[in-house]
Amino acid sequence: MQILKELYDYRQMIYSLVRKDLRGRYKGSVLGFLWTFINPLLQLVIYTIVFSIILRAGIDKFYLYLFVALVPWIFFQTSITGGSASIHSQQDLIKKIYFPREVIPISYVTSCFVNMLFSFVIIFIVVAFSGVHIKLLGLLCLPIIMFVEYILALGFAMIASAVTVYFRDLEHILGIVTMAWMYLTPIMYPIEMVPENLRKIFMLNPMTPIITAYRDILYYGTISHINTLLNGFLLGVVTLVIGFAVFGKLKRHFAEEL
Amino acid sequence: MSVISVKNVEKNFKVYFDKGQSLKERLLFKNRNHYEIRKVLKGISFEVDKGEALGLIGENGSGKSTLLKLMTKIMYPDKGNINIKGRVSSLIELGAGFHPDMSGKENIYTNASIFGLTKKEIDRRLNDIISFSELEEFIDNPVRTYSSGMYMRLAFSVAINVDADVLLIDEILAVGDASFQSKCFDKLREIKKNGTTIVIVSHSLGQIEQICDKSIWIDQGVIREVGKPREVHPIYMEFMGEKRHQVIESSKKIESKNNDQIIEEQAEDTNEGNTPLEITSINRWGNKDIEINEVKICDNLGNEKYVYRTGDLMDIIIKYKMNNETVNPVIGIGIFRNDGIHCYGTNTSTDSIDNVTLKEEGSIRFSISKNNLLEGEYLLDVAIHTKEGFAYDYLKDVKSFRVYSVQSDIGVTRLDHEWDIN
Repeated sequence: MQILKELYDYRQMIYSLVRKDLRGRYKGSVLGFLWTFINPLLQLVIYTIVFSIILRAGIDKFYLYLFVALVPWIFFQTSITGGSASIHSQQDLIKKIYFPREVIPISYVTSCFVNMLFSFVIIFIVVAFSGVHIKLLGLLCLPIIMFVEYILALGFAMIASAVTVYFRDLEHILGIVTMAWMYLTPIMYPIEMVPENLRKIFMLNPMTPIITAYRDILYYGTISHINTLLNGFLLGVVTLVIGFAVFGKLKRHFAEEL
Repeated sequence: MSVISVKNVEKNFKVYFDKGQSLKERLLFKNRNHYEIRKVLKGISFEVDKGEALGLIGENGSGKSTLLKLMTKIMYPDKGNINIKGRVSSLIELGAGFHPDMSGKENIYTNASIFGLTKKEIDRRLNDIISFSELEEFIDNPVRTYSSGMYMRLAFSVAINVDADVLLIDEILAVGDASFQSKCFDKLREIKKNGTTIVIVSHSLGQIEQICDKSIWIDQGVIREVGKPREVHPIYMEFMGEKRHQVIESSKKIESKNNDQIIEEQAEDTNEGNTPLEITSINRWGNKDIEINEVKICDNLGNEKYVYRTGDLMDIIIKYKMNNETVNPVIGIGIFRNDGIHCYGTNTSTDSIDNVTLKEEGSIRFSISKNNLLEGEYLLDVAIHTKEGFAYDYLKDVKSFRVYSVQSDIGVTRLDHEWDIN
């Protein structure tokens, strides 16, 4: 609890780190901040071409079907893989100055999150053009799902960043793990394609309810089932609590290990 | 009321001989993970009261910086505990998180936020920070256009304006030019007066004496002395001087061993009482009609010492032996600073002592009642020569000694002076 109060005191630091990260990301490029929007837009163009001309999946508006799931997934994936290196890359700060170490993964995940929000601008535009009618209630559910995904990503990023300090291979291992994870999450296929007897196991994957919820709202134009939301929320909270606990234990020796 | 309390703090570091960084290395070369535990702090306890300033002194590697890092919570002690009340600000690393492409003002926000200040708090301090840094004209320029002095000034201004309850400082008062430094000192005194507790790690004893009420000398992870700076520092300087003296002597011994034959060395060992000076020929010349056997520098109690405070009494003692009868020899000394400046030189002839008669064997005392040389490292020459300047025995750089000063006047020597201001 004390750490939460301290983190609240350091909110300005989180804010400046996020700002620095977002501003620095496309620094020096001609289009600069516009890349934040161009990037997802170009991705969408590629998917549209590939999946509606070459690899026809038999799902209506597959590009949208994929896109509304992929954008949240990319946020989750970069949070973990990039987050795992976050402590290591800020070692100068950590060795020289005191601040609650949690600030580093939090600001990294937050900046990924803000980036996802920018991508959502594109999503909304595409959804509007595609003729899907989003329910108002569904739209109100969206921030909740985003929040759940945020705490989930943060929990994993905290564990990954702390462990990577002691064990640098984790950074590379996570690259493979998240790739496998992506294929084990119904992003490119509907959950119905998974054999019935394995579906229970699939629901243990915390990303399954989250991706399903995004798609319910943005693709099907329905409202997520309360069970789906609750399932995701519980998994998110548990992950975050474990994340804080592990991080709190490992952070004491950061300065010596780095 | 104590603001800082440090109790029985111990800290060990693992020193890896060859650390495996990755999984492969750790599994394949299990035996590579040998490490040695080095005890950096071996049970340190002290307390600092509110508004008090403490100086931590000690050699490199004595553990004082580690102690400071434990106090800022960058690291945690293995045993014991440290309790600090209130907001801690540390001036260990200046300009943390500075971004070269952002303007001075933006960097103030970033940097101050790392100290845990909120936007409102920074807004309130912004003007103080900018005016203290004297960078008003440049504050909207990107930091990469700053000179290193300007950079440090900005960084220091942020750190010192955090309004911490406890301020921890590690060897950074060497920033900026002389006028900015004195401004920093004034500021430190001011915030101390306002009740901020300060801990400083520094090699500059003068700086500590200016600000601190208490000094702690840490040696090899334990506290050697605690007390008023002016009481602790002379003991520390003496210890350091003695240590350096031993190092110089042993290196001289090695040098002479390389030059001389082993047989001579054995003879030398058996003849301890009256050994000739172990000096290479480059530093010594003369026909040895009169031979200097020993030169030493002593304090007012007659103890051999090579560290003095400006204004102390200092005696140079020269022991000689007459090998051949001589008439009217002249005895001289010369003092050089280690950068080669000739600080002082005189001899018996210049001082109008005309009829010097030396015995078969004896000693000469050159007494400096007030050694006014300022802080620095000095070398001593002594010589006995004829009136015409032909050397009987000339010893160059025969001894080195150190002078330290608690005042910050500059130059070579302190001129006795008084101010009369109307």
